[in-house]
Amino acid sequence: MTPEMLYALRDQAGVPSHPVVFLILGVLTFALHIAAVQVMLGAATLALRGAFSADLKWRRLAGDMLTTAKIAVSVAIVIGVAPLLFVQVIYDPFWYTSNVLSAWWVIGFVVLLIGGYIAMYAFYWKNHDIVADGGKGGFWMVLSIALLLAVGFIVHSLTNQMLFPEQWMPWYAPQGQIEAGGRSLHYWHLPRFLFFIALSAPVVGAWLYGYRRYLQGAQEDDAAYLAFVRRLAQQLMVVGGGVSVLIGAVWMLTLPEKMVWFAGSLWMWVAVAALLAVVALPLALRERIDAGYWGYGIFGAGAVGLIVVGAAREVLRYVTLLSAHGYDPLDYRVNMDWYSTVLFFVTFGLIGGVTLGYLLTVAWKAGQHRGEGPYTPSPAITRMGQWSVGLLVIWTLAYFAVGFWVWAR
Amino acid sequence: MDMIGLYPTWFEPGVGSGWIVGFIATIHVLFSHTSVGAAIFFAWLANHAHRHQKPELLEFIRRYGLFLLVFSYVLGSITGPGIWYSTTVASPRGISALIHSFVWMWATEWVFFVIEVVGVYMLVYLAGKIDIRTHTRLSLIFGLTSYTTMLVIVGILSFMMWPGKAEWTQSGGVLNAFYGPNTFAQLGMRTAFMFTMTAVVGGIVAGQFKDLALKKAIASKLAWLGIVSTLVGAAMLQWYLATLPETADVVLQNRLPEHFPVALMTVVAGTLAYFILTLVQPRALVSGLAGVMTVVILVFGLWPEEVARESIRKPWVAGQYVYSNQVVGTDVPGMGVKSEIPKIEAHGFLRTHIFVPEHLRVITDENRVEAGRTLALATCSNCHSLSSTGMRPLRNYFAGDHTEADVAEYLQAALSGGNTLYMPQIPLNDEEARALAAFILTTTPAPAQAVARAKE
Repeated sequence: MTPEMLYALRDQAGVPSHPVVFLILGVLTFALHIAAVQVMLGAATLALRGAFSADLKWRRLAGDMLTTAKIAVSVAIVIGVAPLLFVQVIYDPFWYTSNVLSAWWVIGFVVLLIGGYIAMYAFYWKNHDIVADGGKGGFWMVLSIALLLAVGFIVHSLTNQMLFPEQWMPWYAPQGQIEAGGRSLHYWHLPRFLFFIALSAPVVGAWLYGYRRYLQGAQEDDAAYLAFVRRLAQQLMVVGGGVSVLIGAVWMLTLPEKMVWFAGSLWMWVAVAALLAVVALPLALRERIDAGYWGYGIFGAGAVGLIVVGAAREVLRYVTLLSAHGYDPLDYRVNMDWYSTVLFFVTFGLIGGVTLGYLLTVAWKAGQHRGEGPYTPSPAITRMGQWSVGLLVIWTLAYFAVGFWVWAR
Repeated sequence: MDMIGLYPTWFEPGVGSGWIVGFIATIHVLFSHTSVGAAIFFAWLANHAHRHQKPELLEFIRRYGLFLLVFSYVLGSITGPGIWYSTTVASPRGISALIHSFVWMWATEWVFFVIEVVGVYMLVYLAGKIDIRTHTRLSLIFGLTSYTTMLVIVGILSFMMWPGKAEWTQSGGVLNAFYGPNTFAQLGMRTAFMFTMTAVVGGIVAGQFKDLALKKAIASKLAWLGIVSTLVGAAMLQWYLATLPETADVVLQNRLPEHFPVALMTVVAGTLAYFILTLVQPRALVSGLAGVMTVVILVFGLWPEEVARESIRKPWVAGQYVYSNQVVGTDVPGMGVKSEIPKIEAHGFLRTHIFVPEHLRVITDENRVEAGRTLALATCSNCHSLSSTGMRPLRNYFAGDHTEADVAEYLQAALSGGNTLYMPQIPLNDEEARALAAFILTTTPAPAQAVARAKE
């Protein structure tokens, strides 16, 4: 596939803002998406491990992790929409070709994800009180995790097939005969896939620190449980982090020839340093972990670490396509559209910031509330809620006002 | 020579890629519309319950919310990206055209999605754990954000049919593409439909209530919501039809199965009858019947409507400039888009299409049929199956005993000028027309069989 062919595949309409904006948003939203995926996988595994334990602490954890996993699937899906959107904007020749070449797997992704999610719900419906009754129907959770991993593997394959334009024709027309059925996944790299899956352990470890801090804030009086959670969180972070870095090393040692430059590059070391720093953070904090918001801060640091890993992953893609195939996504023709660009950033910053800030504050405070009766937010938080409603109403009115103006013009 | 950025083709001989997209999209419309309608209904009902001191109504919100978590937020939230995924493989340049014009609109919708997902979990899990005013405010935020997602997607769906303003072709810009008469008519129609679905699906939840007084109260609200929204929806459909371009009208009259309008009218009448029945006799509101009504609307109302909406924009799939076979068929100066037809006329498909094996770029006696199959995959298979099964099999259109030259002449006469209703312009040169004809003739059945199939 020559550079001219790759450029010809680009959408003629151009992009409505500078491509670097999409590239950055793609990295940020991918990091958030993969964080949710890793929480989902880690929490689901802990739920399965804990539900069938004789230890009540494990069972209690299993119940909470099941709720976490269930919500994390939703969050992973909804956040995943954003990187899926942005990759199509600047890497369209690669994304679309890769998808069409494995079309049935792309459709399978949808079906398997539905199956995985429903299987998790099935496990949830069978386990209303894990602490009292112990776990039931473990098959459903095993099935759920297997299907969710299969879904992850499909996306892994699709994103990697993007990087091999030189293989597209042999994949599409082996021996010159077109096979348009889209029945095969053509490329995968197991160490790379396992690296991102293995990160679920340290990420859910960081999540457990936050969970423990949340319980402390809600005046949790079961000190043994808090100590258990802390021990487990530390094990998951240290052991899981170490295993992840080892698998990452295998990935680096087995990189395809055109990507070998990445092993030992500055970007690789920055990513390794970020991961190790996050893993070491609880060890460095020691008892300060119970002070202030440090318990939450570890997950925050983990998210930053994943952004660094996501950025390194993007560098690997960008440089590989540029150096080996002469394609630069950043020279995409800009067909600037100010209206939609401003609309997104205002909606994201103002409505997203205020409304999500309000919702998450209420959710957190309500969870921490231990007084008489239901939780009533403070006047300051309530004002945020009023602002949220007001901004949403203004947005809706503006939609119609602009629409009628355009229509009548 | 400049190449044309056509992608590989996914050919699904069973039912056809278009039907797979349609299936996922129809399911998604059901889930998403129900969820948006329910969100707004919740906001009203929560307010109503608090103002009239009827906390028992909140139990309906809690149970319906839980039901929606699976019904809409599992299946709906996956089939949403599922539409992207399926159109990506069935029509990559169609979805690309939409993405590259509307990426920020979709990103804006995404912000609302995130709020909506957080909102539904809070609404369900914090019921009774937060004060009434806050719960009402949450339901209001949930309702508003749900509706804003609909506001955004309707503009994009309208563009698929017809760019909002005629000047978009010359001046470009999201505003001109997004807003037009069809946008608001479609919004009105979908808004009414989402309330109808909310009322029908809500019956599945309310049907399980044992408390007869509560059931009656909910049944009456759902019935009135359903009756009004069904009547308004029928009126909105007329408005929507009036905003369609002339070509769409012709397609509607000539290309759709005759039973479609009858099916739609029957569903509207049946839905009204169902709501009236549950209003007069709340005991009739049982989960099973509501479930059956949901399936009836899905199969006999939504499916024909979605098929019709897909059909009437043909031969285009996006913005009246990307053909269903993925070729850019007309200039859009405002976006810097140039028609690819002149390039194909000058050099042919096989020489300009990127994903053609090298040995097929020049047609010879040895490779004629294989080159023809490659052409059929690229130019026909999005809408016509190349086998005997699936969507509108190509071979059914060539009944009788024809020579290669006859078929080639017919293909050129019918398709080269772009004047055949419903069909894209496909400028086949003599060699390519012969090759395509040679391939088609290898697929055709015995003459008598073909005549019968073409009549179907």
